[in-house]
Amino acid sequence: MTEPADDGMPTETGKPAEDKKPGENRKPTEPGLYVYAVVPSTLSPDVLGTGINDAPLKLIAVAEGLAAVVHHHDAAPFDGADADVERWILEHGGVVERSWEAAGTVLPMSFNVIVAAGDGSTAEQRLAGWLGESAAELTERLKALQGRVELRIEISLDQHAAAEDSCEAADLREEMVQRPPGVQRLLQKRLDKTEREIAERLADGLYPEYRRRLAALSEDLTENRRAHRPPGTVSVLTVAVLAHRDDVEKIGLELTSIGEEQPAAQIRFLGPWPPYSFADVPELGAG
Amino acid sequence: MGEAMQPTRDVRATLPDLVDVLLNKGVYLDLDLIITVADIPLIGVNLKATIAGMETMLEYGMMKNWDERTRAWLRDSVSRQVPLRGGEEVIAKMAGGHYWQDPDGSFETWRPGSIYLTTHRIIAFRRDPEEILWQANLYDIAQVVLQTESSIGGEKRSRLLVEKHDGGTALLSAAQPNRLRDLVLKAQSGTVEIEASAGGPSTRGQAERGGKGDDPDTLLFEGDVWYQEQRSGSPIWRGGTAKYDSDEGFSWKAALDRRPAIRLKATEMTAVRAENGHTPVGNSSILILESETGTYRLASDRVEQWAQLLHGVSQQKREDDDDAESQ
Repeated sequence: MTEPADDGMPTETGKPAEDKKPGENRKPTEPGLYVYAVVPSTLSPDVLGTGINDAPLKLIAVAEGLAAVVHHHDAAPFDGADADVERWILEHGGVVERSWEAAGTVLPMSFNVIVAAGDGSTAEQRLAGWLGESAAELTERLKALQGRVELRIEISLDQHAAAEDSCEAADLREEMVQRPPGVQRLLQKRLDKTEREIAERLADGLYPEYRRRLAALSEDLTENRRAHRPPGTVSVLTVAVLAHRDDVEKIGLELTSIGEEQPAAQIRFLGPWPPYSFADVPELGAG
Repeated sequence: MGEAMQPTRDVRATLPDLVDVLLNKGVYLDLDLIITVADIPLIGVNLKATIAGMETMLEYGMMKNWDERTRAWLRDSVSRQVPLRGGEEVIAKMAGGHYWQDPDGSFETWRPGSIYLTTHRIIAFRRDPEEILWQANLYDIAQVVLQTESSIGGEKRSRLLVEKHDGGTALLSAAQPNRLRDLVLKAQSGTVEIEASAGGPSTRGQAERGGKGDDPDTLLFEGDVWYQEQRSGSPIWRGGTAKYDSDEGFSWKAALDRRPAIRLKATEMTAVRAENGHTPVGNSSILILESETGTYRLASDRVEQWAQLLHGVSQQKREDDDDAESQ
């Protein structure tokens, strides 16, 4: 990280000078607050347990009925080896999860969001100020998420199974047996490509129907770009859905039907989770 | 039917997904509150970005004094949204839009999105549905002129008129038009110094998005179309792109979806009509497509054209099929 200039003045390319109030001194060591989630202020702090690296947790509550789950954070943001980051993320997730289970609703923050002191206010004052100003939007979102869960669904096709009935693939397989090893390797590649194309076409045909069936049981649904798809499979759809807790069973039944109808289908079904993918409050976004 | 499938919460099975979601999702926190050291926001360095983190950094504009790790992180975050070229870095980003005119002058509109100024280009980019609305290389730009115009409410607004060496022009809106113009000048004159860095940014985006690619010979009609998706609560309108291809038929896809959510061959459309109703485009016409798999409700500022085209092709196909059968 670049050292701050000695005189504390912004450099030519830094923040415009007029924004900087004279005498203002932002030290990196001023206490900050690491934020886990926004919850209704009725949540009892006793259920929270401890945070990342066993940090003691507290609630910053405002009169509008909202609170933020935080720990005091004086150091720089968490930064370390992947294994540590993974553990911290799980600990962050644990706090969100416990808040969610106790309050029935939660707006999770992503990992490593830290509120700093500044403009003559403490971090606590600034966070409380933000909660107060945004109370209407945050409360509405918390209400909308009450009793809702996030589920993750990945449906993919095993490409061998998908191409089982294809004449083209069958011909290639048959031809391979009678050929010398070098040619076999080439044919294997062609077979692989053919199977994948067949599976892709099948997936294109299945996607609209699967999406429609799952959307009809969900209040919201968002596509995940990163699929954890094993080799030899083609992804049909990878979504996070927001559903009422009572509808989890119906979605499970729909997935059972899909599995029974389509022998090449492989289904991953995760959850129920706090509504991580549906916590964003677009009304609060910068213009 | 068998037992309902049960979702799993087993950490061994869900860890990658959980890490992914906690690094990328969550409620948006006011940018000004986030911790900074010497005006450099200190969030998520070496970690995958939250959108909030990225925008904080961009809001501060210049990256001259940022260290390589911070810039690499920023590049990575930006290139998840906007496809950057090798060695290209973002200088600033702000809300804005591009004034779009139909080539024949029959239709014009402001298309909102974000304006990115990079070391190479100005880009007007819309996130959802994902599209580069307009872009120009900095070296193609002759000048950027501030124009003041009155908005409907009578309030004065500055717009940026971009004039290119080839005579082409574009009109942009931006949250801070003066600042953007100054930054363009600086970027063009090379006052923005960003050291060359090892390893270009990842440029996922266009190649991945394009998929199979459209065949210009068979793609007959294409445009921004909203599709009303049925949910367990109330239905929602989703933005996306509709296409009619003479071989593939009609399809509709949202930018971030993996595959088209509607695919209908001309012969599968049993009815095509327009109906009155409320739509996100504000006009009152909804395009209804019926098939054996369901009824689809679509909105666009060109419902009439879509209805005529689809009605025509579905009729034609059926007549052709009838002829074929009777022979």
